[in-house]
Amino acid sequence: MTNPPPLVVENLTFRYRSRTEPSIENINLTVQAGEILLVAGASGCGKTTLMRCINGLIPRSYKGELSGRVLINGEDIAPLPLVKISQMVGTVLQDPERQILGTRVLAEVAFGLENLGLEREEILSRAYQAMDFLGISDLAERETFNLSGGEKQKVALAGVLAMHPSVLVLDEPLASLDPASAQDALALVRRLADGGMAVLMVEHRVEDVLAIRPGRVMYMENGKARYLGAISGLEQVVDYHEVKLPAEVIVRMARKDPPPAELDVLPASKQGGREALVVFEDVEFGYDRDREVLHGINLTLNRGDVVAILGPNGAGKTTLVKHAIGLLKPKGGRVLVEGRDTHYISVAQVASTLGYVFQSPSHMLFAPTVEEELAFGPTNLGHPADEIALEVREAIEIVNLVGREKDPPLALSFGQQKRVSIASILAMRSRILVMDEPTAGQDYQNYRNFMDSILQLPSFEAILFITHDIDLAVMYANRVLIVNGGRVICDGTPEETLADLPRLEQNRLVPTSLLQLNLKWLSKTGRFQRAERLAHYI
Amino acid sequence: MLVAWRYRDRNSLIQSFDPRAWIIFFTCFLASTLLFWDVRYLLFFFLLALLTVFASRIGWHEMKRAWLFIGGFILFFSFLTFLTGRGGMELYTQEHLIARLQAGFKIFGWQPTLNITIERTFYALSMLVRVFSIASMTILIPYSLNPALYGITFKGLGLPDKIAYGMDLTMRFIPTFGRDFTLTMDAQRARGYEIEKLKGGLFAQVRKLAPLIVPVTIHAIAGSEDIIDAMDLRAFGVGKRTWLQQLTYRRRDRILIAAGIAMIMISAALSLLGLGVFWVPAHSFPVM
Repeated sequence: MTNPPPLVVENLTFRYRSRTEPSIENINLTVQAGEILLVAGASGCGKTTLMRCINGLIPRSYKGELSGRVLINGEDIAPLPLVKISQMVGTVLQDPERQILGTRVLAEVAFGLENLGLEREEILSRAYQAMDFLGISDLAERETFNLSGGEKQKVALAGVLAMHPSVLVLDEPLASLDPASAQDALALVRRLADGGMAVLMVEHRVEDVLAIRPGRVMYMENGKARYLGAISGLEQVVDYHEVKLPAEVIVRMARKDPPPAELDVLPASKQGGREALVVFEDVEFGYDRDREVLHGINLTLNRGDVVAILGPNGAGKTTLVKHAIGLLKPKGGRVLVEGRDTHYISVAQVASTLGYVFQSPSHMLFAPTVEEELAFGPTNLGHPADEIALEVREAIEIVNLVGREKDPPLALSFGQQKRVSIASILAMRSRILVMDEPTAGQDYQNYRNFMDSILQLPSFEAILFITHDIDLAVMYANRVLIVNGGRVICDGTPEETLADLPRLEQNRLVPTSLLQLNLKWLSKTGRFQRAERLAHYI
Repeated sequence: MLVAWRYRDRNSLIQSFDPRAWIIFFTCFLASTLLFWDVRYLLFFFLLALLTVFASRIGWHEMKRAWLFIGGFILFFSFLTFLTGRGGMELYTQEHLIARLQAGFKIFGWQPTLNITIERTFYALSMLVRVFSIASMTILIPYSLNPALYGITFKGLGLPDKIAYGMDLTMRFIPTFGRDFTLTMDAQRARGYEIEKLKGGLFAQVRKLAPLIVPVTIHAIAGSEDIIDAMDLRAFGVGKRTWLQQLTYRRRDRILIAAGIAMIMISAALSLLGLGVFWVPAHSFPVM
């Protein structure tokens, strides 16, 4: 007799108690041992709800109306307690920070085993086995909050693997990782599947996941499965604007369509010369006395620059850009914003010329409605009321939140909150825009749309953004900085900086299919293009 | 994610003891200090606290902020006590005047007057010494106790699994809250918000603090939901738990616990004998 498949979902429908519509409807899927099922879809399509049904948090922690069945190894989980399910289904959340409880790595990995009341020897052996498998045994005594993003992910995964689950559920495991760490994580998932585990992986970055040959893909939309089947069939059902497919595929599909219009980048910078807007002079900085994070940074942000800052987790990218708005003041050297030294002006003064979008939206949202949230910045800057109304409306349109004006920002999904946080800075109409990971947690179509709009806004004269997504630099930047170890490793046009593949590798960057295709055709195109435009050159 | 206090191994006196032994000693110290109002007795506790601070090997630059904040707070309130004699009336019935400072003007017929009495002076001094002793010992704890051992420490003190792990999380929640507050403050300053420019009445001012209070509160709630989910998914609280970390009492830990218990017993005995109550030196100042 053959074993039942590790994961079967039958006619699953769930509605949260606080909602009127079901979040997922009639989902059916099966994952065999050794198989990876990729679940893709825009933010808010119901992926997270599906995951919670499988790992048992629904209906145990999140109440609502549930119908259909989830079978693990042939057993219906409905009557089982969470402790039983947690030994069969391992869950790694999108943000490992939300999952890690232990102070030390070993304590974190052992946490579940301690709760099961196992013998100490068995706990240690299983914990080390999981850490060895992931290659992190040397981290055992480290403090979890000092780890890099990639390390945290592996620690969270080790904590789950130590419980010996037969099904692994991963929620956007690549979202916060630099490209090389993402590649490592994917390779590990492949190895786990090859070892017989059934893996369900939710991920926006479809292109990256394809590298580890998932068995099948499910494409979700509005809580329903629009497609479930072989990877090759995905391109037949989805539009290449919706999901990030490999560049070759987009090129093939986009040939049929007329070439997209070229972006009118930073129209405000077209008149006048290349004025220096932000200048870093020999900037040195450290959070503690004994450890310097930035070493002798010299950098000028000019009018007309669209700068992408790339670099590994923990390279000092955020520390660097926080200096631009004066949230951090250099310990050595100085930073000038429009000629004024940030040592002598307040952050609020800088904010009138330089808008800064933080990485995490949840640290800034407070107002009862989206509209009021967006009006907060311009009001602080003393804009007149009628102008504020206009600025708010425009910002809402750019980030695709029309119809949500009266909604409380805190009740929106993470992706939507992130867009509110971007809009709240856009409404301030500063001359310079700085964004820290603007596309994290955003689906492809949404971030493409708002990035297109932001670059064409009439107010900005220069834009700078931090990203782990090389394609964002390829598509939007006219200047790329690679930062590593608190230094600027290189600074130049994307065509210069991204052509040096060994250097990319040294800085934990992995060339994407779009970059490779662009490099191949550079002599013909003259500069990097997005795939839809590239289609009409080749 | 919970962050930990700035602990590191300092090879100091406190750290040479088992954390459970230190917590027991610390509790005895607190209870004993609170039994006395006589500044001569309190000086003993004050000296003990100072010795511990100097033996803690924590650099001044590390704890400067904590000291300035708590120290400023204590000095301010001791000074208020000195000016008003607030709270002291329960300990003395008569006041003896050292000096009377009178303002050379009147406000609506009331002439501001400061009566400096020996009782108020000594009451404020006792208060200062008492609170400073307690504060000094308390400040050291987050810097000296290994966060990795919080859970097993409370478990080892006899608390049930769930409460011990809850205490572990709570201890780490405080610095996490601080970090979130800083992040929120930064994010709002980048939107032109200036806390220095709060205007209006009390109600209006509290309203204008919403951009800070709301995100920090929501973050704390969302963060605790995440923690609950993460604990549920890893089978927390289903039965008796194994604690991977182990603590063992050594000779010096037993001595410290014995010393702590002796301290509280002697203090209690002295207190029962009526010793250590509020005291002022012999004097010939007139009754006020």
